[in-house]
Amino acid sequence: MAKDLTNITIRIAEIMINELKLEDVTPETFDPEIDLVDEVGIDSMDLATVALVVQDEYGIRIDEDDYPKLTTVRFIAEYVQERM
Amino acid sequence: MKTVSSLLDEEWHKRYKAISKLNIRSSIYDVTNRCNLRCKGCFFFSSDEDKVAKEEMDLKKWEAFIDREKERGVNLAILIGGEPTICLDRVEAFYNRLSTFCATNGLIKVPRDRFPHMAVGISLWGDEKDEKLLRGKDTFSISSRNYEGDPYAYYLYTITPKQIGKTERIVKRIRDVGLKVHMQLLSNDEGVEEFFWTDEELIDIRAEMDYMLDKYPDTVISSKYYHEIITTGKMLNRTFGWEECPSVTETIDRRDPRPKRLIGFIRWASDLETMHRCCTSETRDCSTCKDGAAHMSWVMVNKRAHIHSEQDLKNWIEVYEMFAKLYQFIPW
Repeated sequence: MAKDLTNITIRIAEIMINELKLEDVTPETFDPEIDLVDEVGIDSMDLATVALVVQDEYGIRIDEDDYPKLTTVRFIAEYVQERM
Repeated sequence: MKTVSSLLDEEWHKRYKAISKLNIRSSIYDVTNRCNLRCKGCFFFSSDEDKVAKEEMDLKKWEAFIDREKERGVNLAILIGGEPTICLDRVEAFYNRLSTFCATNGLIKVPRDRFPHMAVGISLWGDEKDEKLLRGKDTFSISSRNYEGDPYAYYLYTITPKQIGKTERIVKRIRDVGLKVHMQLLSNDEGVEEFFWTDEELIDIRAEMDYMLDKYPDTVISSKYYHEIITTGKMLNRTFGWEECPSVTETIDRRDPRPKRLIGFIRWASDLETMHRCCTSETRDCSTCKDGAAHMSWVMVNKRAHIHSEQDLKNWIEVYEMFAKLYQFIPW
């Protein structure tokens, strides 16, 4: 289970980097605890873009009302894992 | 990866934290189709927006509508028109439910016993000569008497090309009546002769706006980055226009690719059903639009693009602070 979460976390970071074209960071160096809104400047439109890919890949639904809770890559990974 | 913490020192980080959680969700409301002035260049009348919808007269319907807006997540009501102060009962319905900003020409005084803390933006279109030419009367002499020393009111000074070299006198007059001023540029929707901006005039007025901010920092609510963007129409090598504007009504926004935009933004007509295209005139050429709030919002919604260098992020913070002050989310 722990390994699954690690894999999901790295994959979420990768999706984020690719979709939002984040520079100077790799999935492995992306700090999963960093506040995406406050520190990286990610907004709800960015999150919606990422959510679309995540939903397709993991076959889950991410409710828009849950966006405010998804403030770190770790939180997103845990959210995905709970619904898989 | 660039992050906010990696770019800012302690002082700027503190300023950032003061605004980063505000999460402002604004919409604009035409309170009425009527006005007590007929200004040349007013987008509302020049594009016949007063004829688009029949004004809702039932106050109960306004109250129910505002409740729905609040449920929709709006936390800032920007009241325009027409002249909102003609319908103070509707203004009060907003004020009792939401953070409210009321744009006015200042001829009717908002009674502070009913609206003790409401943000009021008083329009001003230049000096006495410009005001008489464009608005039919010198409104400053009346509005400055009505609002002298009011801590919740400020002048929204729309600068025309005729004002180059004259803005200091206006700023000083505003300072002397104990009010603040925010500057924006005339878009000249009605094509009034000699009120179109040339490239040289825009360069000159930018320098003058910068000078006013440096010289009267306690009176002028602005930022040099905003001056740059409003005069050049450029931000981070991007050009303002329809493809970039953040202030398009969300429900009718079919742009693809979709730009960064104000979430949930709608500009409502006074029938409470009709939605206008954007925060200003539907007939306006977006490539020459000088709307101040649209340009401010353009910066604000593009936060991530500004987390690129220390200076870019500081510019973003200053513009956000300016907006938050003008709509009273943070103190002057």
